[in-house]
Amino acid sequence: MWAFTIRKLIYNIPVYLATVMIMMMLLRVQDPVAGKLSKNPTQEEYDATKKELGLDKPFLQQYGLVLYEVATWRFHRNMWTEPGVTVGDKLRTAVPRSLALTIPALMLTTVISIVIAMISAFNRGRWLDRTLVFFAVLGMSISFLVYIIFGQYFGAFLLPRWLGTDVFAIYGYESPLKDWRNWPYFMLLPVLISVIVSMGYDTRFYRAVMVDETQREYITTARAKGASQTKIMFVHMLRNAMIPIVTRVMITLPFMVTGSILLEKFFGIPGMGYVLLNAIDNSDFPVIEGFTAIFAGLFILSIIATDILYAVFDPRVRLQ
Amino acid sequence: MNRIRNFFRTREMRKLLRDRLTIFAMIAIGAYLFTGIAIMCGAITAETCDQVVGPNKLNGFYREELPERRYDIATTKFLQAVQTALGQEDPQAALEQVQLGRVRVADKSPEELQTIVDQIIGLRDELNQSENLDEDPAMMPKLAEMEAKVEQLKKPLTGMNGFLHNASLWLGTDAQGRSIFFRGLYSIKIALQIGLVTATFSVLLGAFLGAAAGYLGGWVDSVIVWIYTTFSSIPNLVLLVVIAYAFTDFDLQKRVPAFMSSWVEGIDIKNSLLPVYIAFGATFWIGTCRVIRGETMKLKEMEYIHAARTAGFSSFHILLRHIIPNTAHLMLINFSLLLIGAIKSEVILSFLGLGVKGQPSWGIMIRDAGNNGDVVTGFFWEIGTATVLMFGLVLAFNILSDALQDAFDPKHV
Repeated sequence: MWAFTIRKLIYNIPVYLATVMIMMMLLRVQDPVAGKLSKNPTQEEYDATKKELGLDKPFLQQYGLVLYEVATWRFHRNMWTEPGVTVGDKLRTAVPRSLALTIPALMLTTVISIVIAMISAFNRGRWLDRTLVFFAVLGMSISFLVYIIFGQYFGAFLLPRWLGTDVFAIYGYESPLKDWRNWPYFMLLPVLISVIVSMGYDTRFYRAVMVDETQREYITTARAKGASQTKIMFVHMLRNAMIPIVTRVMITLPFMVTGSILLEKFFGIPGMGYVLLNAIDNSDFPVIEGFTAIFAGLFILSIIATDILYAVFDPRVRLQ
Repeated sequence: MNRIRNFFRTREMRKLLRDRLTIFAMIAIGAYLFTGIAIMCGAITAETCDQVVGPNKLNGFYREELPERRYDIATTKFLQAVQTALGQEDPQAALEQVQLGRVRVADKSPEELQTIVDQIIGLRDELNQSENLDEDPAMMPKLAEMEAKVEQLKKPLTGMNGFLHNASLWLGTDAQGRSIFFRGLYSIKIALQIGLVTATFSVLLGAFLGAAAGYLGGWVDSVIVWIYTTFSSIPNLVLLVVIAYAFTDFDLQKRVPAFMSSWVEGIDIKNSLLPVYIAFGATFWIGTCRVIRGETMKLKEMEYIHAARTAGFSSFHILLRHIIPNTAHLMLINFSLLLIGAIKSEVILSFLGLGVKGQPSWGIMIRDAGNNGDVVTGFFWEIGTATVLMFGLVLAFNILSDALQDAFDPKHV
């Protein structure tokens, strides 16, 4: 297993190097210096700003600097939009906020979707199954934007009017570390919206997995020996359906740090998505580069971890 | 001809056409496509969509407005334009310039118009004495009279013109008085255009690379797998946004060598759809590539491929004639799925201000509605139109993709 892990890691080094390079090259298609200056800058001003931003150095040297930062895990370059704040500090504050939104959303979505998928799969072809699948397709067909806008409208605008008290914040963020009640107030509504959005996709996926599983022979055997429906569903089937479930969850894990650009923008949560969108809008290269470097690393690690978990859950799988 | 007929008689096609829901979805897609083609042929242009056709934030379905709103609608825009024109040195010429969408000033002499305007102003002053017209039923006849007088200023619209004018007000107007109905319809063309172009490109590229990787193996496989792993290590939305951003102020003139600049004159990249195509094209082929690569590896071991190889056909021939045609069903399914992805992503990119520019799009309509506080004030016509039109299209394609999957690739998880 160790040999496998190390070989995979080495194999993925070029992928990692290329990911960072592609991102840096894409960013440099546009000249960020012109945007930072007044309308008609002199050549001296232009050169001075370019030097200040570190863009006067050759591309490979800038590339090396980013890799060096990753290797030492110290992102000490200053942000361009907020002078004096290092990229590392910004990521350290922003990422936990995103995680506070995305991890509960992922857990809720997975659990609810699996339960609905199991109900659906066990009633395959009957009206309950068809209704559930139909609603999943309906849900998938509505734009994310619409969910957010109407979710915000009902949850944070209409609901307080009906109830007479403020249940959810419409905009803004305060740390739940100060007072735990801040979490439901600021985060619960975005989490719920996020769950509803991804439920359609997840339910359909897990249902397909479960349907595949219900046709296996071990289910028939379990029925024949007189196991109850619930026992078959939760003990026999769920364990065997674990591989696709784990794969799917593992693949989505790295995306947790990205947060949700749209949700954070609408609800004013200063998490990673918000920081990224701002950085892209104002061409703040150090932030985008630092974040991409971290994300790509997480993504590659999660792919390798998935392969290893395969073997853990299914002894028949050999790592080679 | 025979081949097409035979294709429709295959077991898969019969299975596909048996479900009534699928037929409905296909009819809906056909209707959308027809609208898209009609718009492409010039039925609605981007300029028409930018035209002010009526008062701001008019309700759809000609729904009765509250008296305060009726007062506002009657006294702004057209009346003001006529008043300004009458004040000019040459009122006759100025009046001919006045227009609100298709509405023109009636064929009356400036003096006649002036008397009508004076009457309207008289009525307006009387109405102004009321604190709140909504709770003042006594003023209603006066309001109706004023509205009738304003109508007298307008030239009656007949025939096609009248129909189009009515149609433009069907679903109301947005915060700038532009027709929501026309903007929503025009966005169909944008969505389909982006969806079809990017899905076609991505599927062809993905299928070719995937088949090549799966069949040839060796270093070709390693390189292709390396490329797609690299692209998928960048978060999809971030990559889309960064590529779209890279082109936001892209000036082709300054990018090409001097001697080429006359060739590219007049090509406006940053307002075209090209950045969107590039952003989607760069990311969307990955999924198809992966699927086709897996399928090719399976097909490679089939007997007919061995036979073809023994018969001495080149790898290129086998790929093109034997492998790729046998992955056609996967390409079809992927095409349908990518189309949905492209349409949804386009709306989100346009919403963020990085997608479509200078033309209407559902994303832009939703953003405008949000910026103007439409939802909070209860004006749902703009966001509703964008949502419903998009929902219909995406739902139809979702149902079709499901049916395609069931018919052609039933074992897929």
